Amino acid sequence: MLLTIRTGMPTDVRVSGVGMTPFESDSRGSLVDLAATAAERAIADAGIDPSDVDALHFGNALAEALDESAGLANALAAALGLDGASADRIENTSATGASAFHRGVETLESGVESGDVEGGEDDTVLVVGAERMSAGDTRDVTEAISRLVHRREYAQGITLPSFGGLAAGAYLDRHDAPREALAAVAAKNHANAVDNPVAQLRKPIDVADALDSPVVAAPLRLYDCCPMSDGAAAVVLTRSDSASRSDPRVAGIASATGTHAVAERPDPLAIDSVSAAGERVFDRAGIDPDDVDVACIHDAFTVLELIELEELGFYETGTAWEATLDGETALDGDLPVNPGGGLKARGHPLGATGLSQIVELVWQLRGDLSEARRVAGAETGFAINVAGFGNNSVCTVLRA
Amino acid sequence: MTDSNIDPSAAPTRPRERDLPADRAFVCDDCGARWYYDRRRCPDCGRSSTDAATVRLETGTVVATTTVETTPPDVRAPNHLALVRFDGVQVTAQAADGDLSPGDTVRFDGSHRLRESRERTDPRLLAVDDD
Repeated sequence: MLLTIRTGMPTDVRVSGVGMTPFESDSRGSLVDLAATAAERAIADAGIDPSDVDALHFGNALAEALDESAGLANALAAALGLDGASADRIENTSATGASAFHRGVETLESGVESGDVEGGEDDTVLVVGAERMSAGDTRDVTEAISRLVHRREYAQGITLPSFGGLAAGAYLDRHDAPREALAAVAAKNHANAVDNPVAQLRKPIDVADALDSPVVAAPLRLYDCCPMSDGAAAVVLTRSDSASRSDPRVAGIASATGTHAVAERPDPLAIDSVSAAGERVFDRAGIDPDDVDVACIHDAFTVLELIELEELGFYETGTAWEATLDGETALDGDLPVNPGGGLKARGHPLGATGLSQIVELVWQLRGDLSEARRVAGAETGFAINVAGFGNNSVCTVLRA
Repeated sequence: MTDSNIDPSAAPTRPRERDLPADRAFVCDDCGARWYYDRRRCPDCGRSSTDAATVRLETGTVVATTTVETTPPDVRAPNHLALVRFDGVQVTAQAADGDLSPGDTVRFDGSHRLRESRERTDPRLLAVDDD
């Protein structure tokens, strides 16, 4: 492999401010308005002035497909008054938000983006992710998303939910797991969203509701799938020299690609991009999965939460479903997973999702949340954001 | 520097895999390795795929199945799909019906249209009766 893997090198980047808009099915205002609202909240939370921002990275996946204009990073920089800052746009389909975050961390680590002549101490990077999936009609959005798969897969009418259905069937079959195990993931994540004011689906559902919902791609049903969403999330990143010691630190971040065509994976339940990114991030952060107190897992489909928990080493292969049914991944369990509701219930505005995971972890690690939402005593947070059906995964470890 | 670096007319014309019917895989002229999803070089020996031949897939074994009820615009519903292991390649493709199960032996058969607005037709996966 032509990869340079840095081992045992946690970053000295800290998240000094976070902000987001509520995720919803149909927001008002333009895509740039949405992004600017989240950005201003993050800037205010960090206690900085927009003129302090040296670099802006803007994550958005579908603007062109939904007939919005390109040049988004420049429009956002102008709207926020970031004149002089460097700015660019990042795209990595469903993992756009985490890839933008990854770029922001690298910008600070490289130290080349400082706006002031004195050097790196005061570097400040703003990372914003936004998506307005309501900008197109459902048909256009569905078509745009269906084109994220390999073109020979597209020719067969295969979609991301199709892969979810194939994997879910294979998972239940191989591990002799009951259909209720998938429904339990949905019920848990909906329960976590009820008290989250930024979540799109704050309605509690039980396992029976999920099992009754319409079939999307057998055995997956509607309640196994994330919704389409509008929303934005933003973070301010700072070098630790200038950041407050109470700001959570980016202990590690890593990405990895996998096969584009899902059928090329020898085992449909082995998603190499997930396991590779996970190994790299744990290595860089110098921790094990056991050290994680709270995790945000890319649950675009319920079965993905189970497969990723296993691929990442949180659970042995074939056991995450039992752990879920036993309540281990609930808010009060040994490993709370998706305490903000996950993609399933918080929503999945492609460009914002990965950053909303970071926002959730920061809230958890800073202890900002009400008791009904809080993972008690959380010091180490983990997030994984996945592009396509495992084409590209981005993992992050944050430490209080 | 090779000619293809400077001469536009020497640019390779690769097989248009999007136009290939679902039952055909690529095969390497040198080592015989097969692949199904496009690549610029043979995954085994690294030979350029520019002039790779294609081969018709015979029988394969079902690994996983799904029936998609919510299909993209233009695509007929339900869309029965199966992940199938053939000799040298693994493929996701349309199935004739929703009756396949993991372990079944299948082959490609017939000529069917998937998208209403397009002329393209493909064979679909059909169970082979075990005697």
